[in-house]
Amino acid sequence: MQTGELLNNYNVEPNVWDEMYAALSVRPQYQGVVEFLQQMSIEELNKKEELAKRLFMSQGITFTVYSSGEGIEKIFPFDIIPRIITAAEWSYIESGIKQRLKALNLFLKDVYSNQFILKDGIVPVEMIYSSPHFLREMHGFPVPHDIYVHIAGIDLIRDHDGTFYVLEDNLRTPSGVSYMLENREITKRIFPDIIPRSNVRTVMEYPVILHRNLVSLSPRQTANPTIVLLTPGIYNSAYFEHTTLARLMGVELVEGRDLVVDNHRVYMKTTAGLQQVDVIYRRVDDDFLDPLVFQPDSMLGVAGIMSAYRKGNVAIVNAVGNGVADDKAIYAFVPAMIRYYLNEEPILKNVPTYQLGRPEEREHVFGNMSRMVIKKTNESGGYGMLMGHTASDEEIDRYKHEILRDPRQYIAQPIISLSTSPCYMNGRLKPRRIDLRPYALCGPDGIEIVPGGLTRVALREGSLVVNSSQGGGSKDTWVLAG
Amino acid sequence: MLSRVADSLYWMSRYMERTDGILRMLRINYASSQDDIQEFSWKPVLRIFSYLDEEKSTSLAQQSRAVLQYMVTEKENVNSVLNIVTRARENARSVQDHITKEVWQCLNDFYHTIRDESVNRNLYIEDPVSTLDVLIRHGLLYYGTMDITMARGEGYAFINIGKYLERGVQSADILDIKFSDLQYDVERMDTTYWKYLLLSISGYELYLKTYRTGFDARNVVGQIVLSEDFPRSVLYSVNQLRRYFERVKSDGNKESWKKIEFMIGRIQSRIEYSTVESILRQGLHPYLNGVKEELYEVGIALNQHYFAYS
Repeated sequence: MQTGELLNNYNVEPNVWDEMYAALSVRPQYQGVVEFLQQMSIEELNKKEELAKRLFMSQGITFTVYSSGEGIEKIFPFDIIPRIITAAEWSYIESGIKQRLKALNLFLKDVYSNQFILKDGIVPVEMIYSSPHFLREMHGFPVPHDIYVHIAGIDLIRDHDGTFYVLEDNLRTPSGVSYMLENREITKRIFPDIIPRSNVRTVMEYPVILHRNLVSLSPRQTANPTIVLLTPGIYNSAYFEHTTLARLMGVELVEGRDLVVDNHRVYMKTTAGLQQVDVIYRRVDDDFLDPLVFQPDSMLGVAGIMSAYRKGNVAIVNAVGNGVADDKAIYAFVPAMIRYYLNEEPILKNVPTYQLGRPEEREHVFGNMSRMVIKKTNESGGYGMLMGHTASDEEIDRYKHEILRDPRQYIAQPIISLSTSPCYMNGRLKPRRIDLRPYALCGPDGIEIVPGGLTRVALREGSLVVNSSQGGGSKDTWVLAG
Repeated sequence: MLSRVADSLYWMSRYMERTDGILRMLRINYASSQDDIQEFSWKPVLRIFSYLDEEKSTSLAQQSRAVLQYMVTEKENVNSVLNIVTRARENARSVQDHITKEVWQCLNDFYHTIRDESVNRNLYIEDPVSTLDVLIRHGLLYYGTMDITMARGEGYAFINIGKYLERGVQSADILDIKFSDLQYDVERMDTTYWKYLLLSISGYELYLKTYRTGFDARNVVGQIVLSEDFPRSVLYSVNQLRRYFERVKSDGNKESWKKIEFMIGRIQSRIEYSTVESILRQGLHPYLNGVKEELYEVGIALNQHYFAYS
């Protein structure tokens, strides 16, 4: 089969925004890639797909699935066709995310100090105090530079008319950034020359900016502060990401057992004795961070680390307690936060969200279950979700029952169709739903967003769930310069 | 450097050295099993490198293919090359930010190669030497990549400490077991026997150049224990061990360093001031065993003073 045919056979679904095709013609930003694909035979494309898989495997960009006592190496599925974002789209996204993060950061500072937003009745008090991620331990403690969210991953989707919506804010320990970096490296290998020719902006700055921000947080005034990346260990599915970031920044990768707290200071155990740690980029969740304060049986954290943090002897990134701001129920209030703190209209839209804790909204949702997606407020990774359009009546009834037990734990949103992008599958191009997670870095000098991000793709036909735990893959994401 | 990292680097390196030793041993012994020498047996190899009991190793003694599979790809054998490479890689995986990307990829490729089913199949139906050569080459690639890409820092020192400690123990072990097979009879003039022993640790050519008088068990002991130039000799390994241990000296742990330095120094002098005659006088087995024990003690002390993190 020739590749010309490959493109002719690409059928865009009705009422869905396709990133490559508009009204049967290729969008200008995809022209270069399409021309490149047309020069290739199916055999060559298959070879490229093979090469991509081999590169992931040999570089150990894998996660391990343990079954019957034996580790099996798996790669996250990667689709070779890049997702392309124009300069205009990017500048819109960039300004929208910056605005949103500014407000969310102010919200966290407010909620953990004066709570003006609660006193003014913008966000209901019970919303905060019923959130399991609101940590009293953080109250009245000024974090360095007033920055709570140092690293954020904001998930964006596009509706049928191409409008961007924020689907979710990830303000705790967003993952996936190593795939943004590695996917680009793989694309360089499988499509030689095409990246410079297409005027794609680089993503290589990410570790440099992150490292600079981490250095600037050091509580000790020293030229060479000790920065560490705290990982839960090699059995964590994101372990590859932790080693990649540590390597790219040249910082020490530590586990909880490598650290010890003495006199409210954190030290790491080295071959030459104890060495004081200044900044911890932790990839361990709040709950497991300090067995003395949170889960007492956690083996992943460090006893006493919270006291060192509160004394200001060590900086922790992201701040502890951020979960109260990316709770799915709080999400609905982000536009109001932007108006309240910044006196601006939100640039990026929120997906309309119904609080099932409110009887009238619950009634509305229960009457329109087939057009709704219901989510648990404190779950992530696509777990605990109900997609109304595919669920059976029985499943819906069971779920409703579940909701009525504790309605605060649920929100509902109308199903947004999600845009499609072409994926190369078994010698054919097929439209598959995608989202976009750009990564924003906040330091004392402001917010920077590396031009790119992680495009996740729902590889199953018709699926709207892009999470890797639910059969999702990823694509290289190009942001074009001017 | 983190104690945990030093520990992982040290063990990664020991496992890779062991891998190399086993593979070479298997390759040469297989070749020797194809020669029509009178009484070839896999038993010494199994005694050095596996935990099989007497009965089991006797039953395998003449079955080359079965031994190869057991030693290379058997998952149930904790000391199979597959399992050792897996452990080396697990160690490397947890210290990826302390080895170069090239070294990591090398180990990772080795791991994926040996896990491929074709290795097991080829050991059984194809020419096993080709398969062993492929694996040995992966090991050589690791050594070369290590040499060319790794910074000469503390991590590199711990890698070499692991490597030479393992090698010293291995060479002493191989010599001891080969001789025990002959009831430590140094008068035995069995050319083929010594030839294959030397070949298995890449010492045959050096032997021919050093000793012009043909094969003599005394000279074999001389080369494998006392030679300063033979990279697999016990003395060479201990010299290198001391050399790399010098580099981890620091103000933070002077006392521990001194203690271990003393231990290594004592082993070194003990070998340096031995002669073949003095070794044979006190008995080859007690001598080699003593050296081995002392090397193990160094390993334990390193663990106590440098790697302990819990």
